[in-house]
Amino acid sequence: MSAAGLERPQVVAHVQQALHYTLFDCKWVPRSARLLCLGSAARGTGVLQLHELRGGRLVLLREIEKAKPIKCGTFGATSLQQRYLATGDFGGNLNIWNLEAPEIPVYSVKGHKEIINSIDGVGGLGIGEGAPEIVTGSRDGTVKVWDPRQKDTPVANMEPVQGESKRDCWTVAFGNAYNQEERVVCAGYDNGDIKLFDLKTMSLRWETNIKNGVCSVEFDRKDVNMNKLVATSLEGKFHVFDMRTQHPTKGFASVSEKAQKSTIWQVRHLPQNRDIFMTTGGAGSLHLWKYEYPAQRSKKDSEGAEMGVAGSVSLLQNVTLSTQPISSLDWSPDKKGLCVCGAFDQTVRVLIVTKLNKV
Amino acid sequence: MPVWLREFRWRQTPAAVYLSLPLRGVRVTSANIFCTDQYLKVSVPPFLFEAILYAPIDDTNSTAKIGNGIIFFTLYKKDMAMWDSLTLPNANKEKLQYLRENAVLKAHEKAKEETEAKKVTKQEHKKYALEATMKLEEAERKRIEDLKEKERQNVTKELELWRKEQKDTEKQKRVQKEEELYQEAEQLKEKKKEKMNNAGIPNEGTSKTRLKPTKGCGSYSMFSESLKEEWLPAPRSAATIKINFTPRVFPTALRESYVAEEEEWLRKQAEARRTINADLSELEDLKEEEKNPDWLKDKGNKMFATGNYLAAVNAYNLAVRLNSKLPLLYLNRAACHLKLRNLHKAIEDSSKALELLTPPVPDNENARVKAYVRRGTAFCQLELYTEGLQDYEAALKINPKNKTVEKDAEKIRHLIQGTTQDS
Repeated sequence: MSAAGLERPQVVAHVQQALHYTLFDCKWVPRSARLLCLGSAARGTGVLQLHELRGGRLVLLREIEKAKPIKCGTFGATSLQQRYLATGDFGGNLNIWNLEAPEIPVYSVKGHKEIINSIDGVGGLGIGEGAPEIVTGSRDGTVKVWDPRQKDTPVANMEPVQGESKRDCWTVAFGNAYNQEERVVCAGYDNGDIKLFDLKTMSLRWETNIKNGVCSVEFDRKDVNMNKLVATSLEGKFHVFDMRTQHPTKGFASVSEKAQKSTIWQVRHLPQNRDIFMTTGGAGSLHLWKYEYPAQRSKKDSEGAEMGVAGSVSLLQNVTLSTQPISSLDWSPDKKGLCVCGAFDQTVRVLIVTKLNKV
Repeated sequence: MPVWLREFRWRQTPAAVYLSLPLRGVRVTSANIFCTDQYLKVSVPPFLFEAILYAPIDDTNSTAKIGNGIIFFTLYKKDMAMWDSLTLPNANKEKLQYLRENAVLKAHEKAKEETEAKKVTKQEHKKYALEATMKLEEAERKRIEDLKEKERQNVTKELELWRKEQKDTEKQKRVQKEEELYQEAEQLKEKKKEKMNNAGIPNEGTSKTRLKPTKGCGSYSMFSESLKEEWLPAPRSAATIKINFTPRVFPTALRESYVAEEEEWLRKQAEARRTINADLSELEDLKEEEKNPDWLKDKGNKMFATGNYLAAVNAYNLAVRLNSKLPLLYLNRAACHLKLRNLHKAIEDSSKALELLTPPVPDNENARVKAYVRRGTAFCQLELYTEGLQDYEAALKINPKNKTVEKDAEKIRHLIQGTTQDS
């Protein structure tokens, strides 16, 4: 038993750092050993902290304070030379910052009427093709796509029909960006709706409802033909959709797994292996999963239409690090197995997941 | 009477006494031999041998060998001296007795001491065993910890190496870039020199070309960037996608709703629709549709709209007779009574409607607001302004955004204040 246990990937807590503010998001700065922590200070202002991982410690390099608390951030839409950070804050503002000169944002727009819950970027960092774009999802029920070269108006706006009561959008993700024209945005809402918008045809491509509010969605890779989508929800369930085959009525095939009794706050795929992903839980736990493809990924149904076949998910490792929910997780794109997670107990932890080569 | 054994042989050395005692025909065990430092007794019924020794011996080390009808004693003397005889010569009875008892006591004590010693050793053994197992477990735990530590250290080392690499590559890149830029600058300068040489240039031309170098030096980075920008596609043309959300019977999200109450409300509604007060004897002459409370309600509404309030009341009355659980019937009938100025009846009906509209859920908000407003109006028209105000405020609590209700409530408040001032 112990021998088999030691062969599985281990999650080793490398560094732990207590912070003096509530941490909402943490991100690695690409091509470096630096990480960024975004959050809200006790007096209601936003905090951006840049740390560097040196030896066995996190050294604080810079601390920047902003007017409104910052909820989420991404490096996804900038080039590797510039490494500008796009953030969404509690006031509905989307800002892009140059971390060398953070006093004035490079781009700023009041995109939403209410807090921006989630942000994602695509087209930058040398990954994928096409224009750099940022998508934001907000509590006002709208999902907007922005291009940093176009001021003030979004390039795409997904909003509820006039008269429809709005539902909070909790999470957004880009996908299917395999050439210059194709792009897809997936949005998850608090009533369990998942909607897939195709930006090339500017239409709703697919929608479904998973009954519980959707906390996090992510494609396994943004820059390939869409392969898999993981959606996590309240009450410990997550669904893995096989996105290669869309059935005209049944949509995409999925497999669901109930991992823990609490909310699954985030899902993040390992950048170096798209079949491994980590889910973070409301009880302070982390679960590492591996997806196995079925023998045949699609089959024909009774009318002859192609239908996808979902595979299976197996748990590789789980560990409990905290008593509070772990609200954010980011894998380092440069070092396999290095990740940072932030929890609501005001600590940021750098973890190392070992033996991922042998999985 | 035991048989005394008197045939024994003994010899001695300065250190020990050797005594051999023949005992034929009986089996002797160690239990039959009793020895203290000055008293020796062998009692194998019916034989008995007893000796009060000349001098004390070391009874713990002395031995007795039992075999083929003989017991061979090896008694080690306490004092090295030769004994005159094995036993004490003048041993009278009392002395013997005393000695015997003493011996017995001594033996007892010895036995006690031995048991205690045994206990102590047992305890120590246990302790030792426990400590040993603990040590083993500790060792195991430590081993696992060490493995983990090693992993951690390995990874830390790798991280450090990787970080250094990053820094080095960054430095290299920077150096490279600078070199490239320098080379580009050189190239531009050369090109300009060539141009200047080739063209037969008038004065204006030279000034132009002289301006160019300054522009050129600053703009090589711009060149590379603009090339890159052309490479990216233009921003998308703006568009909007309209979406619908999955409908739900109740407007709130599942986790926010008062599910229990809503379930109750739905159940009540379903029940209400099903109960039909069967008073069929009177109603046999009615047409089929006239027996349907909903149809009657619609009829009543139509008549209310045209202003025929009495007929509306009749329709509602019949509907109530058929089904007394539909709150809307009472609600609408209250409106008719208001118009007919049957104020007491209006109050009664609004109250009945409110009763039926429990539990309070967002679904029956509108109905409840109407009921409160109608009852309030009736009260006011009866000049019971305080009760009226109470009802209006209840209506406002449910729906704070209703302007007409607010205005009316204000009016009533003024009226009340006006009457109290007067009186």
